[in-house]
Amino acid sequence: MAEATPSKLKSEHWKRLDSVQDAESLRQESINAKHEHLIAEIETSDGPLATTLRAVYDDDELGKFVTLLESRIKSHDREIERMCNYHYQGFIDSVRELLQVSTDAAHLRGEIDATNMGLQVSCEDLLKKGDHLIRCRRVQKNIASAIEQLTLCLPVLEMYGKLQEQMKTRRFYPALKTLEQLEHTYLPRVSTHWFSETMAEAIPQLRNRIKEASMVDLKDFLENIRKHSAKIGEVAMRHAAEQNNMDPSIVKKKGRKRKAPAPPNPFTGEIETTDDGTSNVANVTDDEDDVEEELSAQDLIDFSPVYRCLHIYTVLSDREHFESYYRKQRRKQALLSLQPSPNMHESIDSYRKYFHDIIGFFVVEDHILSTTQGLVNRAYMDESWETSVSKIVAVLRTNSAQCNEGSMMLEIKKLIVLFCHTLKGYGFSVGHLLELLLELRDQYSDTLTRQWVGVFNGIFADDNYTPIYIECEAEYISVITQFPFTDEELQQSPYPKRFPFSEFVPNVYNQVKEYVNACLKFSADLHLSHTEIDDMIRKSTNLLLTRTLSACLSSLIKKPNLSLLQLIQISINMNYLEKSCSHLEDYISNITGAEKDSVHVARLHGTSMFKDARSEAEDYIYKKLNNKIDEFLELAAYSWGMSEPSTHPSGYLMDLIAFLQSIFMSFTNLPAMVTTVPEKVAKTACMSACKHIANSLMNFLLDNNIQQLTHYALQQFSLDVLQCEQFAASEPVPGFNDGTLQLAFVDLRQLLDLFIKDEWSTYLAEYGNPKAKYIRVKPHVAISIMEKLSNTEKKKNKVFASLKKNERDKKKLQEVVLKQLKGLVNGQTQSSNHS
Amino acid sequence: MAKTYDYLFKLLLIGDSGVGKTCVLFRFSEDAFNATFISTIGIDFKIRTIDLDGKKIKLQIWDTAGQERFRTITTAYYRGAMGIMLVYDITNEKSFDNIRNWIRNIEEHASRDVEKMILGNKCDMNEKRQVSKEKGEQLAIEHGIKFMETSAKASINVEESFFTLARDIKAKMDRRMDATSPPKGGGQKLPTNQSQSKKSWWKCTIL
Repeated sequence: MAEATPSKLKSEHWKRLDSVQDAESLRQESINAKHEHLIAEIETSDGPLATTLRAVYDDDELGKFVTLLESRIKSHDREIERMCNYHYQGFIDSVRELLQVSTDAAHLRGEIDATNMGLQVSCEDLLKKGDHLIRCRRVQKNIASAIEQLTLCLPVLEMYGKLQEQMKTRRFYPALKTLEQLEHTYLPRVSTHWFSETMAEAIPQLRNRIKEASMVDLKDFLENIRKHSAKIGEVAMRHAAEQNNMDPSIVKKKGRKRKAPAPPNPFTGEIETTDDGTSNVANVTDDEDDVEEELSAQDLIDFSPVYRCLHIYTVLSDREHFESYYRKQRRKQALLSLQPSPNMHESIDSYRKYFHDIIGFFVVEDHILSTTQGLVNRAYMDESWETSVSKIVAVLRTNSAQCNEGSMMLEIKKLIVLFCHTLKGYGFSVGHLLELLLELRDQYSDTLTRQWVGVFNGIFADDNYTPIYIECEAEYISVITQFPFTDEELQQSPYPKRFPFSEFVPNVYNQVKEYVNACLKFSADLHLSHTEIDDMIRKSTNLLLTRTLSACLSSLIKKPNLSLLQLIQISINMNYLEKSCSHLEDYISNITGAEKDSVHVARLHGTSMFKDARSEAEDYIYKKLNNKIDEFLELAAYSWGMSEPSTHPSGYLMDLIAFLQSIFMSFTNLPAMVTTVPEKVAKTACMSACKHIANSLMNFLLDNNIQQLTHYALQQFSLDVLQCEQFAASEPVPGFNDGTLQLAFVDLRQLLDLFIKDEWSTYLAEYGNPKAKYIRVKPHVAISIMEKLSNTEKKKNKVFASLKKNERDKKKLQEVVLKQLKGLVNGQTQSSNHS
Repeated sequence: MAKTYDYLFKLLLIGDSGVGKTCVLFRFSEDAFNATFISTIGIDFKIRTIDLDGKKIKLQIWDTAGQERFRTITTAYYRGAMGIMLVYDITNEKSFDNIRNWIRNIEEHASRDVEKMILGNKCDMNEKRQVSKEKGEQLAIEHGIKFMETSAKASINVEESFFTLARDIKAKMDRRMDATSPPKGGGQKLPTNQSQSKKSWWKCTIL
C-alpha cells in the first residue's frame, strides 16, 4: 500500500495543474486535492476516522468524494490483483520447499535422538566417576580442616596434660607457669571448643589447689625445719667454735672420738683405702660420718618448698598473705624454741638442745633472708631477735639460778659464749647476753663458793689434825710442791720428820688455788682484759676467803666435839695459811697476767682472816679448857657445914690439878711432842684456866644458896685453894714463873686468910690503904661470908643452948666487925654517890 | 653447888694406840662416831650421868693416850680409877697380845680391887678379824675379868659394857657399905669420901 500512496499523490498533483486555467477548474481542482488529502489521511490513519469523516461531510462534495473514493478503491483492487499474479509462483515454490524442509527436519530429529542415546550410554561411567570424585574432594577438604583444628587444640591439651602431670608430681611452680600459658596463650586459640570452657572453669580451682598444695608443702617444710633446727644449730655452733678456736666438743653431747682420715696419697691425691675389707667398710662409714658432719645448715634442709611456695604466691599475687603466714608460723616456732624444757637446769644436754634450737631457727631465717627477696627482712629478723633475746636472758637467768654445780655453770657459760659467737656471726647483736654472762659470772662465783663450802668442810672432816709426818724425801717434796713452805731446820733434820702443820693446810691452799682456777675458767672467751680478770678473781677469792673459808673455819672451831689438840693444831695451821697468802697473790697475778704491782690490784684479805680465825681458835682452846674445868667443878661437893677439920684437899680438885698438869705437860714438856703448842697459847691457856678456877671457887663461897658456913669448911676450902696455888707456882708451862699465875688466886687467898686468921683489926685499919695486907678483900664479900658464918653459929646455939663465954665474945666481935663492914659498904656507896 | 648425883665412878680406858678407845668413849658419851683417826694427846675425860637402880651415877671416864710416850702421864691416872676398860682391836693381833702387858701395868699401878673389863673393839669389821672371840673369852677367864666384843662404829655393846662395869663397881661398893667396913685403899678413898660427905650433906638438909 505504501508504494501505492506516492503515486496517487502524484496524480492529484497533476489534476491540480490542469484545473489552474480556469477558476472553475481551479476550484474543482482544490476540491479534488482536498479529497485526495482526506483519502490519504484515511489510508494512513490508524485511529478513529471521525474527524476525517466530519471533514468529508462538511464539504458538499460528498458525491464527488465518493466517486473519487470508488475510483481509488478500484485502482487499489487492480494493483492487488496484479501483485497477486506476480507472486503466485513464488508462493508455490515456497510451499514446495517448505514441505521438503519438513521431511528433512524429521530426519534430522531422528538422527539427533540416536546420537543422544549413544551419548547417554557412553557418559554414564564418567558421570559416576565424577560423582565419586566430588565426594572424595569433599572428604579431603574436611580432613584438612580437621587437621587444622587438631593442630590448634593439641598443644592446649598437651599443656593441660602437662599441667595435670605437674600437679600429680607436685611440681607446682611449673604447673603454675603452665597454667599461665594455658590461660593466656592457648585457651583463647581454642575458644570455640567446648572443652576450653571447662578448662577455663577449672583454672581457678587448679590455682587454689596449687596454693593449698604448696601450703601443705610449706607446712611440711616448717615441720621439717623444726625437727632439724637443732641439728642445724649444732652444726652452726660447731663451725663457730672452730672459727673462734674454741673446743668444738662443747657442742656435741659426747666428744665422739673419730679416727683421723687417712692422709691423701701425695702422688694421686686419692685417699688410699686399706686392703682389708672390714676396715675399708669402717672407713667408709667414717667418711659418711664426716660428710654428715661437714654439712652446712643449708644442706641439711631442703629449702625449695619455701622458695616454691613464695614463687607460687608471688605469681598468684598473694605474696603478702604468704609472707605474713610464714612469719607468723616462724614466730610460733621461735616461741616453741624459746620455751625451755621444764627441767632444763638439770642437765647440760637440755641447755645444748635449747641453744641448738634457737640457733637453728635463726640460721634458717638468715638463710631465708639471703636467698629470698623480702620474705623476711632485716627489720623482721632484728625484731624477732630482740624479743627472743629478752626471753633467752630470762630463761637462762631463772634456770641458772637453780644450778648449784660450778662445772655445770661453766659448761653453760661456754655454751652461751659459743651461742653468742655463732649468732654474732649471723649479724645479731649479743650485748644482752654478754651482760647476762657477767651476771652469771657472779652467780658462778656464788655457786662455786657454795660448792667450796662442801670442799672445805670435807677437808676439815678428813683431817687428822696432826702434823704431817714424812718418812722420805719424796714425801717431803710432795708436800713442799703443794704448799709454799721453806724451813731450813726442817729441811736439814733427818727423816722421819714432821711439818708443823697438818694436811689441811696444803689441802686448803690447793683448794683456794682450785677455786681461783675455776673462777678463771669462767672468764675465758669473755674477752676481758687482764686487769678485769685479775680484779674479778681477786674479788671472788676475797669473798671465798673472808666469807666461805672464814665461816667454815668458824663453824669448825665451834664444833663441840673438837678436842683441845685439834683446836691447837687449827690455830697453828692458821699461821701457815696466813703466811701462804702472799704466794696466793703471786699465783693469781701469774695466771691472770695482770701486773702484780699495779696500784689498782685489790689485795687479798686472807692474812687478816686467818689471823682472826687463829685468835678464834685460841679463844676456843681457852674456852674448851675452861669447860673441862667446869666439868670437874660440877663434881665438887663441899659440905659447908662440916664440924670437924679435914686434912685432905677435895678429891675433885686433886683430879683437876692432876689433869691440868698432864695437859700442860703434854702441851709443852714432851720431847717428841706431835703438836708444838705455841708458848703464848700455852701460857694464856694456863692463865685463863687459873683465873677460871679462881673465879669459880670464889663463886662457890659467895653462892647465895649456902646459908651457913663453918670455919672447918673454910679451912677445907683454903686447903683446896692452896693446891691451886701450888699448881700455879709449879711452873706448869715452862718459863711461866714470874708469879703472875699465882696472882689469879690472890683474891681468894686474902679473903680466906682474913677469916682464918681473924685479922679484922688489920683489915679495918688498913682499909683504903694501897699497901694494905687485905687490899683485895671487898667489904661486901666479907659481909656475905661473915653472915653465913654467924648464921651457922646461931643455929648451932639454938641446938646447944649453952653459950660459952669465948663463943659469946666471938659472936660479939663478929657483930662489931659486921657493923664496921656494913659501914664501909655504906660509906663506899655514899662516897660513890657523892662523887 | 648442890650435888646432882649419888655416886661418882672414875673409869679408865687403856689399850694400844688406835684400838678405838676414844671412839668407844665418844660413842658412849655423845652417841656419835668419827671415822678419822686423831690420836689422843696425854689424857682426856668425858662425864656421863647414868641411872642405875634409881641412883644417879656420874661416870667420869678417862681416856688415855695409847702411845708409849704418854705412858708417864697416863699411869698417874691408874691409882684413882675404880674401873678399867682394857681395849684391844680384833683386827690387830698385836693389840690383843699387849693386853697382858696392860694387865701387868694395872697390877703395878692401880689399886688392888679395881674392877676390870676387856673389850674387843671393831667387831663390825669381821672380815678383817685376827683375834677370835673365843681367844678373847679365854684371856678374860684366865684373869677372872668380864669380856665383851664391841663396835663403836656400829654401836654394839658400848652402852652395855659401861653399864656392866658401873654395875659391878656399885655392887662392890654396896657390899662394902653393908659391911660398914671403914674405907681402905687409895682407889676407894675418894668415892668413900664422897659418900661420906654426901651423907653429911644429907644431914644438913634434914636439919
